[in-house]
Amino acid sequence: VTARVVGAGLLGLALWLSGCAPVAPWQRGVLARPEMALEPNPTQRLLREHTYLSREAAAGGQPGGGGGCGCY
Amino acid sequence: VAATEPGRRLRRASRRLLVWLLSAWCALRLSRIPRLAHAPRPPHLPRRPEEPGPCLRALTAAAASLPMLAPSLADAALDDEIVTQYSRYQEGDRDLFGVKSLYDPIQVDTLHQSVRGTLFDRVRLGFDFLQDTWSGATPISTAPLPLGGNRPTSPDGVSGATPFINGQLFFDGDLNVLQTDGFGNPTGAIDNQLVHTISSASPETRRQVDLDLGYDWDAFDVHGGGGVSFEDDYTSGFVELGGSWSFDQRLTTLDLDVSYTWSGIDATLDHDALPYIDTSAFDGVIETTASGNRILRDSRQDVGTQLGLVRVLGPKSLVEASVGYRRSWGYLENPYKVVQVAFLDPDQQFLAPPGGFYGDVRALLEQRPDTRNQWTLAARYVQFIDATRGALHLGYRHFRDDWGIAAHTFEASLGQPLGRGWSLEPRLRYYSQSEADFYADYLVSDQAYETIATDPDGNIVSITPYDPALLPPQFSSDHRLAGFGALSGGATLRKAFERGVALELSFEYYSHQAGLELGGGSAGRFADFDSYTISGALRFDLMALSLEDGIRGDRVAHPGGHAPAGLVAAHMLDEAGAFMVGYRFVWGHRSGAMLRGSRSASDAELVANACLPNACGTAPEEMDMTMQMLEIMYAPTAWLNLMLMPQFVDMSMDLRQLQGGVVDDHSAHTRHSTGGPGDTRLYVLARLFGAPGHEAGRHGLHAGLGLGMPTGQVDLQFRRDHQEDRGYLHYGMQTGSGTWDLLPSLTYQGRLRRWSWGAQLGGVVRLQDENEAGFAFGDGAQASLWGGYALTPWLSASLRGAWAWEDEIQGSFEGLQSLTTPPDYAGNYGGHFWDAGFGLRVVIPGGIFRGHSLAVEWLQPLATDWSGYQLERVGELTASWSLEF
Repeated sequence: VTARVVGAGLLGLALWLSGCAPVAPWQRGVLARPEMALEPNPTQRLLREHTYLSREAAAGGQPGGGGGCGCY
Repeated sequence: VAATEPGRRLRRASRRLLVWLLSAWCALRLSRIPRLAHAPRPPHLPRRPEEPGPCLRALTAAAASLPMLAPSLADAALDDEIVTQYSRYQEGDRDLFGVKSLYDPIQVDTLHQSVRGTLFDRVRLGFDFLQDTWSGATPISTAPLPLGGNRPTSPDGVSGATPFINGQLFFDGDLNVLQTDGFGNPTGAIDNQLVHTISSASPETRRQVDLDLGYDWDAFDVHGGGGVSFEDDYTSGFVELGGSWSFDQRLTTLDLDVSYTWSGIDATLDHDALPYIDTSAFDGVIETTASGNRILRDSRQDVGTQLGLVRVLGPKSLVEASVGYRRSWGYLENPYKVVQVAFLDPDQQFLAPPGGFYGDVRALLEQRPDTRNQWTLAARYVQFIDATRGALHLGYRHFRDDWGIAAHTFEASLGQPLGRGWSLEPRLRYYSQSEADFYADYLVSDQAYETIATDPDGNIVSITPYDPALLPPQFSSDHRLAGFGALSGGATLRKAFERGVALELSFEYYSHQAGLELGGGSAGRFADFDSYTISGALRFDLMALSLEDGIRGDRVAHPGGHAPAGLVAAHMLDEAGAFMVGYRFVWGHRSGAMLRGSRSASDAELVANACLPNACGTAPEEMDMTMQMLEIMYAPTAWLNLMLMPQFVDMSMDLRQLQGGVVDDHSAHTRHSTGGPGDTRLYVLARLFGAPGHEAGRHGLHAGLGLGMPTGQVDLQFRRDHQEDRGYLHYGMQTGSGTWDLLPSLTYQGRLRRWSWGAQLGGVVRLQDENEAGFAFGDGAQASLWGGYALTPWLSASLRGAWAWEDEIQGSFEGLQSLTTPPDYAGNYGGHFWDAGFGLRVVIPGGIFRGHSLAVEWLQPLATDWSGYQLERVGELTASWSLEF
């Protein structure tokens, strides 16, 4: 069942993406705004992720390394 | 105990608040500076803090479509930027059910320096330096309340002792825990309440350095890098490689990242708790050192990968979907966590209540699987909101691993510009995880911990330990592997000033609750806690700084105009309205012989004389001190400058046992360290002679008056150790002076062609006789004379002769203090010092870092005359970065 749900989800996603209208260069002003970035504040994000890493079990799934033990 | 008195905490907090207010005031000045009239502003930037006009918006749109300005649309925030960020994480008290812990909860101070910049045409550089110092108490295990793990050590119900992790429990026939009276007899009432057993730790510091290099093609980019992280008990290094491919008119970007991490564990097991911990499962990796410490040495490795797809959905929205996988193997345990096991020894059941059981409780080091496979599935969506002109971010992440943990994270934030450079970003996050298969609050095992066989005469024939096969193969009571939910929320307030400078303040509150777990709490409420994080950051947009007229690179292009890196308050800004921001890193190292004055002292002499009226047991073997300072300088007028200098310090010391000295268990500690915010200085600099400017042949003289504000700590204490409270840490390892200080100075500088020279006289005068802990560091004075030569137009070298004097400490700690080693005595501080300084300075002539000044200086001790008995000096390194604009 899970596989079917994931499959349907991926198919839906593919359809959704293919349905996007092209965005001309002169229509991209809004996308270039700093707050529209996927990660508007990487240093803050790093700080928060480090806190979550030392307090939650699921934070370690990211590919990045470092971060130390967080053993406390 | 001084550290927990609310009054002192309040005073310290109010001093820090004062510093923050001063910083904020200083930064706010930025916004009021009129732009120089002669400089037309080029409309160059794809990002502006202000709301852009229609013309700029059109240009922005055009610029954004150029390949070089936005390698991928989603990377807009990752351009050229320098960030310096300080944060504090503070946890609230755990509920110990009637016992008040003497220990402060966990607190972490983090300082983060980050540089992102375009080195050359298509080459990007990323550099991060991160340091965190943490201290406070943390759970060592989970146990039923009747065990009394946090048993009070004083009649007022305050617990400060070594936690009790061995003991006895009474159960009824259904293994419910029975309450006991004050004498350890079961009362018959059921009490299944669980509680964390809290243990304290001395402060510890971690440092991490990351470097990343990237190269951009039109449609592709690759980046690779790595980093290392050091702390006393954990060392790790990682390498990372990634790339992205943008296609479909850059509307779609595919990202792939892979990483490999290696970590080494060198955990010194808690000496006090160790006799009560069964380490048998790890005896193969536990080493016993000559001093009797037991160190667990092992390693772990991680490989991770993530594949992401970013798609622009329209002019105002984009989405990212990603999958990630991570495999970890090796030692995945936490070496400081134990699981308590109640052994139902058949031979001891005569102690059991009627129809129940008697449990002999022992503590075993936790045992986790040796491998872990983790998968993540995540999606993020960004939508521009026309009504408010803000950007809404929504995210969801699903996590699953083969330890049985499934987690969901929901995130939402809104990046909302407020006009005039202000912006606010409120955030909300919800997290829920299920418990690991092998999570157990505590275990009950139907066997004896050990069976002792005796012959008819009562002599022990054999001791048979418990059978590990009768226990679960893995077990942990670490609350991070339990089921729980967490709700957190916060906001970031940012003000972008002219010239590409922004100030940011952030707050987050976090609440961990068993009851918030999706589908109901599988863990009890005993593990609930909350925490908050506050942070402040200064951000410098290099693109804006290098393209605008503001940068003073033309005028400071000659590196000879500066004093050597090791001197503070030696430089003045030339123009009214100018700013300078600097970062200075100082590392001082001491090791070698213990000196009495200038000559080396034998162990016998140290034992007899260095700790009078007592006998010394140990002496320092090695000492390290690092200071990180932020310098924010502003020139209201050309002849008067103001400078604010917050400091962040950390110190560490290794002790050795003295030959013939009193044996001190404490010396068995490999190392102790402290760290955190230090004192904050505010300077006023006034030009007394000479016109501003860097033209050759000029002479200049300026006076400085600094005020040292006691924002650092002077009440840091050792953790309780070897069943004994140790009291205050050495004077020199406190992070502040605790007194208000005056710092006068007089600086002369001259230049002729390639040559430059100068002199500085300075001092420190303590304005109070004693601080809140009962002492005051000595007054001091220093004199420097230097000469410099510009080797090239952008590189200069300097040679400096320096003399310094520092008086002995006045007064002494009031209260319990460790008195076993020379640095514990006020008479063993201060002295006369003569040094030679070798310096280099570079002012970057072009590119995005144009005008940035980088300098280093090594201060080599020539002669030392210590007061009392002190450790030899090896030298001091200063590295600094500064930028005028």
